[in-house]
Amino acid sequence: MEAEVKDQLVSIEKPGLIAPPNWEPVIMGILCNWCSYAGSDLTGTSRIQYPPNIRIIRVPCSSRVDPWFLIKSLQTTADGVLVSGCHPGDCHYISGNYYARRRFLVTKKLLNFVGFHENRIQFSWVSAAEGPKFAKVVAKVTDDIKKLGPLHLYKKENFEKK
Amino acid sequence: MNYTKQIQDIAAKLFAEGKIDVFVGYRMNGFDDNQVPVLITDPQDVSKLVFTDKSVFNLVNYLKSDHTRRKRVGLVVKGCDSRSLNLMLTESQVKRQNLYIIGIACEGVVDDAGQKMQNCTECVVPDAVVFDELLGGTLSGSLTLTGSKPYQVNADVTALAAMPLTERAAYFEEVFENCIRCNACRHSCPLCYCAKCCIDQETATLYNGANTTSSAFHALMTWSLHLAGRCVDCRNCEKACPSHLPLHLLHKQNESVIYENFQEHLAGVIPEDRGAFYKYSLKDPDDFIM
Repeated sequence: MEAEVKDQLVSIEKPGLIAPPNWEPVIMGILCNWCSYAGSDLTGTSRIQYPPNIRIIRVPCSSRVDPWFLIKSLQTTADGVLVSGCHPGDCHYISGNYYARRRFLVTKKLLNFVGFHENRIQFSWVSAAEGPKFAKVVAKVTDDIKKLGPLHLYKKENFEKK
Repeated sequence: MNYTKQIQDIAAKLFAEGKIDVFVGYRMNGFDDNQVPVLITDPQDVSKLVFTDKSVFNLVNYLKSDHTRRKRVGLVVKGCDSRSLNLMLTESQVKRQNLYIIGIACEGVVDDAGQKMQNCTECVVPDAVVFDELLGGTLSGSLTLTGSKPYQVNADVTALAAMPLTERAAYFEEVFENCIRCNACRHSCPLCYCAKCCIDQETATLYNGANTTSSAFHALMTWSLHLAGRCVDCRNCEKACPSHLPLHLLHKQNESVIYENFQEHLAGVIPEDRGAFYKYSLKDPDDFIM
């Protein structure tokens, strides 16, 4: 019975398309080296469980994240993106995350404007000491994106010549 | 709005005094009443220059070319063009001492059908903001946060934002599907001057078939986000687009988000102002971050 309910999961942007059985989302996690990456490391060393859907990329700072990265991930494999950096005021490079914050807002609003659900692009501040918070963030993002169904917009493989 | 006589006189005077090597202006295209940009190096050709409300293109784009680089250039700028010139000066792409700028207090230009262009009806900075000589009046009052008139969110953007998500996604899928990836939008933009562009990673070629809706999405979204906080709404990209895509939607959406959330000046209005993404405030909205 439960499997049947899962079969009916549709893509929120394209309600005509139904998710395959036992579909699991792929989430691109872009983490800053100094806080969030260390935080995720702490989650692992503390033996805290979090969903395995996230694929992590390490960047030197959250302001290294060009909006291009998010577009590329959504265009290729990801069903959602999580970008995480240091808390405001904690940036290793003094002010990188303040610059990043502005870009994130504009990127998120533009992607939402062209038809992506806003929960597909998420941001968080996780410090190196917040292992449990990182696990909670990943669980929440995975949960959100599971509800939205698979992403079918502008997927590269749908347009490639066979 | 007709400054043909004044511009011809000024150009002739500049050539006679030996102040410029090249003059960038408009001429009639020769078969109908539309105009095309022209680069003049011979003083005898000055009589070809015109300026009316059909002078639609942004001539600042021609400062990127080899014909004007490292030369002394005279050029004509309207309000929006002068803002992009301001940004090019701030970003060290051109030298101010090499330029002689004829600013226009613009009353709006018209499209092929004779209608006033949409960006001209919404324009908040009609007068040139950087010039050596201003034609058609003086600057009216001081510039505020948005120029000299109140800012309004673009009507097309408001209408689309009110639509349900699925309809909006379908609308933009059609927009990106019609893109032929000719990159005319990038070449016509005065602020796209990078020698190597990251969107060329998905260049449309005969072999890999990368001219797809997906690659158009990638290219146009990346392009518009790299211009966010810098786009001056001159709509040179839309005039150049062979598929007539509504490219202004992406730029105006970014502009409205930046204006509403960060209370920044419109791009290029203030000299030495590099745009919203080159600075920050501790009070920037944070509620969308976990």
